[in-house]
Amino acid sequence: MKYIEPASLPEALEILSADDEARCLAGGATLVAMLNADLVEPSTLIGLRRIDELAGISVSGDHIRIGATTTHAQIAGDDRLTGNAAVVRDAARQIAHSAIRNMGTIGGAVCHADPNADFPGALVAANAVLEAAGQSGRRQIPADEFFLDYLETSLEEDEILSAVMVPVEPVGARGRHLKFSRTHGDYATISISLVLAINSGACSHARVAVGSAGPAPVHLAEVDALLTGSDLSGETIKQAGQKLMEAADPVDDVRGSAEYRRMIIPGLLQRAVDELR
Amino acid sequence: MSDKIPFTLNVNSREYQVSVEARQTLADVIREECGLTGTRVGCEHGVCGSCTIIVDGAPVRACLMFAVQAEGKEVRTIEGMADGEELHSVQRAFSDNHGLQCGFCTPGFIMLITAALEQNPAPTDEEIREMLSANLCRCTGYQNIFNAVKQYVGESTETTGAHKND
Repeated sequence: MKYIEPASLPEALEILSADDEARCLAGGATLVAMLNADLVEPSTLIGLRRIDELAGISVSGDHIRIGATTTHAQIAGDDRLTGNAAVVRDAARQIAHSAIRNMGTIGGAVCHADPNADFPGALVAANAVLEAAGQSGRRQIPADEFFLDYLETSLEEDEILSAVMVPVEPVGARGRHLKFSRTHGDYATISISLVLAINSGACSHARVAVGSAGPAPVHLAEVDALLTGSDLSGETIKQAGQKLMEAADPVDDVRGSAEYRRMIIPGLLQRAVDELR
Repeated sequence: MSDKIPFTLNVNSREYQVSVEARQTLADVIREECGLTGTRVGCEHGVCGSCTIIVDGAPVRACLMFAVQAEGKEVRTIEGMADGEELHSVQRAFSDNHGLQCGFCTPGFIMLITAALEQNPAPTDEEIREMLSANLCRCTGYQNIFNAVKQYVGESTETTGAHKND
């Protein structure tokens, strides 16, 4: 296996498109573990750490740009991630443990597309857009269309995720990523990512996504519509939870049976709403 | 055929000239090339925390990092803690409180705690528990490790005047 650390994104893209078996390495939190277990066998690893434009968080106009190699710890510690973006910060704060958050990056986590991870649901709830860089230019993919299946995204093989763009609007919104897990630092059995804005008692914006509930985050426009404009009464939340529960398609595994996971959803949604109200 | 990459690895302020394959983890290189076997390798997928070391001031898992990624960084391991025969205060707190039994996980805990307390010198009890939950210990039941951290926090906040917040 070869290891290359290109200094620029165009250089990295050139190496990637020339070699089908090359893989990008950001923080390594997942890829190195997979290599240790012989689950993947790349011909070349493209280390991304010297590419400055992939690193760090910046606020520009109507969105917050989080570079792909920004670590979970950096995101968890950035107080510019407020309002709509708070849900992303809240998710970052709860990923594994400090030593992992110091290594893992948002780009790596998102491209790995483990549906049990925390970022996918949070990015859907925040209506984030993922920026993919290719040799012919860049394209923007809404989070809703990015996560396709278990460990599968809409990124092309010769593209590199360059940034995650989180809209600043709605400014008055609040976000919460609520995680139900067996033990601290574990993957979620079920997670709820919720962004809410409330104006004089009525909900003026709602976006909710459920993680660990199927091959991709579960997000239903009809649930957002049901909550938006409502007074978020117990009855409304129950209906919303019911719809999400029916749409969920989780697996049976060590973190809970599919049925158990489904049954957690309505209660966890109610708890998330209560915390944001 | 040699796919080895030569570079300088800085561990405990000492420079090691190493030549390693790209897929050798930092944990393995520290142990095998630098001969510093205090860093333990347990699960090799980032769960157990036995290989926790400090890289550029932050605790990381040495099993989840390739050695080549550590070029240009400052690595600290358990061997860099004591000053000659004199134990570092975190090590002494472990000894005073019997914060270990078999000792396999201890270097990882010491490095985790040292880095965490450099960042937050006066953690609450809750913050200490959250921090310790990152690493696995199958002997002690954690309480004596917790007591060791409390002793260390008490000593260091007395000397620095930082507020203890529990």
